[in-house]
Amino acid sequence: MKSKPDKPAAPAVGSPPTGVETVMRGIPASPGISIGRVHLLISDCPQAEPRKLAPAEVSRELERFKRALAETQSAIERSRQRALAVAGIAVGKIFDAHKMILDDVVFQEQVRSRVTREQFSVDYIVGDILGQSIEIMQKQQGEMFRERAADIRDVRNRLLRHLSGEGDAVPNRPDEPVILVAPDLSPTDTLHIDRQFIRGLAADTGGLTSHTAILARSLDIPAVVGLGTLTSSVRPGDSIILNGNSGKIILHPTEPTLREYRAKRDRYLEFQRVLANLKDLPATTTDGHEVHVWGNIELPFEAESVLEHGGRGVGLFRSEFLFLTRETVPTEDEQFDTYDKAAEVMAPHPVVIRTFDLGGDKIHGSINLKQERNPFLGYRAIRMSLSRRDLFRAQLRAILRASKRGNVRIMFPFVSGLEELREAKAIVAETAAELERERIPHDPKAQVGIMIELPAAVSIADMLAEECDFFSIGTNDLIQYAVAADRGNEMVAGYYRSFHPAVIRMIGATVKAGHKSKIPAAICGELGGNPLATPLLVGLGIDEISTNAANIPEVKKIIRSVSFADCKQIASHAMHLGTADEITDYLTGELKKRLADLPIWFS
Amino acid sequence: MILKDIVLLNKLGLHIRPAAQFTKIASRYKSDVFLVRDGMRINAKSIMGVMMLAAGQGTRLTMECVGEDEDALCAELMTLIENKFNEE
Repeated sequence: MKSKPDKPAAPAVGSPPTGVETVMRGIPASPGISIGRVHLLISDCPQAEPRKLAPAEVSRELERFKRALAETQSAIERSRQRALAVAGIAVGKIFDAHKMILDDVVFQEQVRSRVTREQFSVDYIVGDILGQSIEIMQKQQGEMFRERAADIRDVRNRLLRHLSGEGDAVPNRPDEPVILVAPDLSPTDTLHIDRQFIRGLAADTGGLTSHTAILARSLDIPAVVGLGTLTSSVRPGDSIILNGNSGKIILHPTEPTLREYRAKRDRYLEFQRVLANLKDLPATTTDGHEVHVWGNIELPFEAESVLEHGGRGVGLFRSEFLFLTRETVPTEDEQFDTYDKAAEVMAPHPVVIRTFDLGGDKIHGSINLKQERNPFLGYRAIRMSLSRRDLFRAQLRAILRASKRGNVRIMFPFVSGLEELREAKAIVAETAAELERERIPHDPKAQVGIMIELPAAVSIADMLAEECDFFSIGTNDLIQYAVAADRGNEMVAGYYRSFHPAVIRMIGATVKAGHKSKIPAAICGELGGNPLATPLLVGLGIDEISTNAANIPEVKKIIRSVSFADCKQIASHAMHLGTADEITDYLTGELKKRLADLPIWFS
Repeated sequence: MILKDIVLLNKLGLHIRPAAQFTKIASRYKSDVFLVRDGMRINAKSIMGVMMLAAGQGTRLTMECVGEDEDALCAELMTLIENKFNEE
């Protein structure tokens, strides 16, 4: 919760440099409104000018290099330890790679021989050699090489900073609260960010699942990413407004704009304070109907953020993140470490781990995939797991081992029929028997549920409900498959409507089928975090809403402000409206009547 | 000098971990070892050099070992490559 209000920014008018008010749009990555001054974080050290050494200076220069190497080595080790502690083995491995780069003996020897031969300062030589490597790596095809280039750049900057005597401090650390503007944030930058001084983050690159975005959400810092050319359009000290609710950036705001946004921000902060008070209260309607509000996470340390926001469970742990920061398939032990960390933090509250949802748009270098004509209708998620038994078994063993406290549940994505569910359950049973034989602790009664995200699964939800322990509706995929529109394709994105009547009927039918077999139905897609949807979902009988940690208090607030009877009425009325627009308008009206001060009204 | 044409059969090619295994062995010997791919020639004792080759599975490379202990070096690296870098 943002409890401290922002320091009011000095007016832009009259403060140099005065620019024209400019609005830029990016991707809203972490909610909140910030007003302040730009602090440019260019963590790239500039290439040093070649400074000629006196012959007598050479040995001192080599000594300086040796010392900087040793200091950088221990600094990287400290980052690795910190990464392991907050984010687990997968993120820690980034720093293993950094170590290997720094320890490159040929590089070190090259530096020493060039300093001796050319008699230029070591800063220049180091920058020159690594700069060339970065340039070559960047020219290679593929995400992997760009990441490696970023790794070399990170190591280069740290080494240069130790050479210059600055040490490991983030460069030009701000001494007053600012809005950080950066081309991108390196793993080191993000890991060591000082939330006390950072009121907002704006980055040129990145999407909702970039490290910057994930970190901003878990630190509760408003953020907008994917802004393209922001860094080149601003100067340090420029006045800036950042709206993490809408993804809007306003540069050089005029006095009226500033007044408007200060008011918005104050109302937003006031609302956040109200929400903070709900933290330990249950999400119960005014007439006593309780709905569980849980969090979605990607990294194990986000579980803490879920608890801090008042979530009493993790409804969706996206295990694919284990693949994001690496090039090899994560081993059983690495996975166990990650799952166990989340389960430990959350215990005794439940953690629902979704087995790998790879494929579609989430492809990975370590799994050989054929080019598919239509990857969204292709080889992904449970389909891949069932044909890659080695991967699937290792993952299930890791999940089951992490279930030893009795609070871990398994969830299969992309189930289209009973065949996959039965096959996957059989493998769970075999894996559990294996652990039993090896006397490895696990929960033999760990619940097994499925994502409902294909229209086929909705149609046979009654039969699926007979054979699993819970449903969780993945609205993003359910909508795209129901209306056959990819929202990333702007020519058809208009057909992708969260409140399409078909979607609402499908959610209703799924809940009904689940309840008939006495199993709960959850929502874990983006719709769960949409305040307009909350009364509707409650009215449809949803038992659990799982959403990003930052959305939890708002969803709770709405649930606590409405009655179950009203929600049921809203749901049954919405069920009979014919178009997405009519439903959206209707839900907006109903919510406004009950809650006049929600952040969505002022994004 | 020993020249060997090699094909990388391991799944990852010379990504960071296999590259690290390769350079670790190379660094233990006095001889120099170079890898050549499409006219690009790098010192194989350098992990950054090896990564820069961007050699994935199925890549053909030429390996050059030069120096007093070139036979032993070449043999050990060939074993690593033939054993597919002990992946999995």
